[in-house]
Amino acid sequence: MEWRGVAAARLSLVLTGFLALVACRATPQPDPARQLIARGDALFFKETFGGNGRTCGSCHPRENNFALDPTFIATLPPDDPLFVAEFNADLQRNFENPRLMREFGLIQENLDGFDDLENRFVMRGVPHVLALRNSVASPGGPLTGWSGDGAPGDRSLRSFATGAVIQHFTRTLNRVPAVDFRLPTPAELDALEAFMLSLGRQEDLALPLALKGTVARRGQAIFLDGSLGKCNLCHSNAGANAAFGAGSTGNANFNTGVENLPDHPARPTPERMPPDDGLGTPGDGTFNTPPLVEAADTGPFFHNNAVETIEGAVAFYNGEAFNTSPAGRFLASRDPRGVGIRLDATQVVAVAAFLRVLNALENARESLVLLEGAAGKRFFEREAAQRLLGQAAAETAHGIRVLSGAGLHPRAVVHLEAARQDIEKARRSLFRRGQLIKRAVDAHQHARAELVEVP
Amino acid sequence: MMRRYALGLLIGLLGCVFVAHGQEATERFIPIGQSPGLSGRYTSIGQIQSVDSRSRTLTVVADGRTYSVGVTERTRIWIDRSPFKLTALTGTVEDLQPGRKVEVKYEDEGERRFADWIKVQPAVP
Repeated sequence: MEWRGVAAARLSLVLTGFLALVACRATPQPDPARQLIARGDALFFKETFGGNGRTCGSCHPRENNFALDPTFIATLPPDDPLFVAEFNADLQRNFENPRLMREFGLIQENLDGFDDLENRFVMRGVPHVLALRNSVASPGGPLTGWSGDGAPGDRSLRSFATGAVIQHFTRTLNRVPAVDFRLPTPAELDALEAFMLSLGRQEDLALPLALKGTVARRGQAIFLDGSLGKCNLCHSNAGANAAFGAGSTGNANFNTGVENLPDHPARPTPERMPPDDGLGTPGDGTFNTPPLVEAADTGPFFHNNAVETIEGAVAFYNGEAFNTSPAGRFLASRDPRGVGIRLDATQVVAVAAFLRVLNALENARESLVLLEGAAGKRFFEREAAQRLLGQAAAETAHGIRVLSGAGLHPRAVVHLEAARQDIEKARRSLFRRGQLIKRAVDAHQHARAELVEVP
Repeated sequence: MMRRYALGLLIGLLGCVFVAHGQEATERFIPIGQSPGLSGRYTSIGQIQSVDSRSRTLTVVADGRTYSVGVTERTRIWIDRSPFKLTALTGTVEDLQPGRKVEVKYEDEGERRFADWIKVQPAVP
């Protein structure tokens, strides 16, 4: 019986030594760039800047693609800082419109000044902050926000957070620094900028892609056709930059007539929604071009959330509002038939299918990055791994939703659902995490192979 | 050359704007010297020496130098009351009084310099 005790002791020693080796694996040198991004991550979601309790993440939640929509808003508890205008007596008037926020995802902005809060404001949707690295640069300087003039100071993306704190984080309408909020420090602005630039795609696509789906492939052809869809002129490679034949001209504003759309869903309500004249004071009617790769996942669409679906957003360009706008009339002037954009129903659906597939591919790319990150976490970095796996699960779910929403690629959806389930198992697992992550990665690869030719 | 002309025409027709005007609405609430990326680099912070209301010219002493800047109808003037923990106000040329601390963001057009915006601190709240 003694030998059993000795064997058990030796086994314990070996096991302890093994665990010690796992834990004490050489620690990599800290990367200053990654540390700056991590600092920005923490600021974005936790720092209230001494204000009303909101953070940047209040309007740009990570779990909802850094954007807001009524469906997500409905999941928030009533005391969420997003709803501060509903329970802070100092902000109950002229700060937000709770009904328009909850029902249409609209946020109040005072872009033309703060002298007349009662009458001078606009209601806008919350844009996502993905792919900013390749979406804001223009020859005249960065264009931020829905009208391209979102930042004070030097107008850079870095300075954007300062304007956001002043507009959205204040404790009272006086907006006094060091009383109602504190301004971000230069170091904090650096970190926030680094974090925002790290989000999503770091470069534009190179279209055309070797898509496998018939409808999406046709949609891509229409998108790229300068005589039919003409989308690629203002959204080169489905991004945010324009290219009119002389190479990319960077991100730009256009007057596409969105403000002239009849029947904006919020207008039948008794709530005030003054006209939005876009860039400048007085405005010139132009609004900024967002990237399209992330579009299918981040509706509602346009600066005022006028359209709910990606199919509706594509169809907008067929309508009178666009074709009588300066942008529409320009396209018509270049067209031998004098037509701006005229697509039939099946063509609209095809372009929308193309955008859905692009979005799903981007969801998959991001999921794989997150899974790789989770796989690289050591045994005792369980919390960090779980966080990454949670984000990967959400991205995978978004890809499923984007494809299923139009009945696209059902076999890819099956693979993505398997991936999602394995990711959830990996989150709960103690010892099988690596194996389950690998299965999820394989499932994602299978899904991707359904959407696009894999070299 | 023709390509550049065509591009310029294209820009005009589309109504698209390649020059950022900037969000100056929230700039009003940023105290003198704290405008991100601007203060001390592209602005002058100093003291008002004199104001010529007829020529609408402001003379400022900053960093030991004296310079004059034109105040136009487009110039935004804000009263920075943050040292008194009070809200910033929209001001007028009458608020530009000698001796007051001021920050000026200006732009040069040819040989003349014009103020894009001016923040001035009042002597009293």
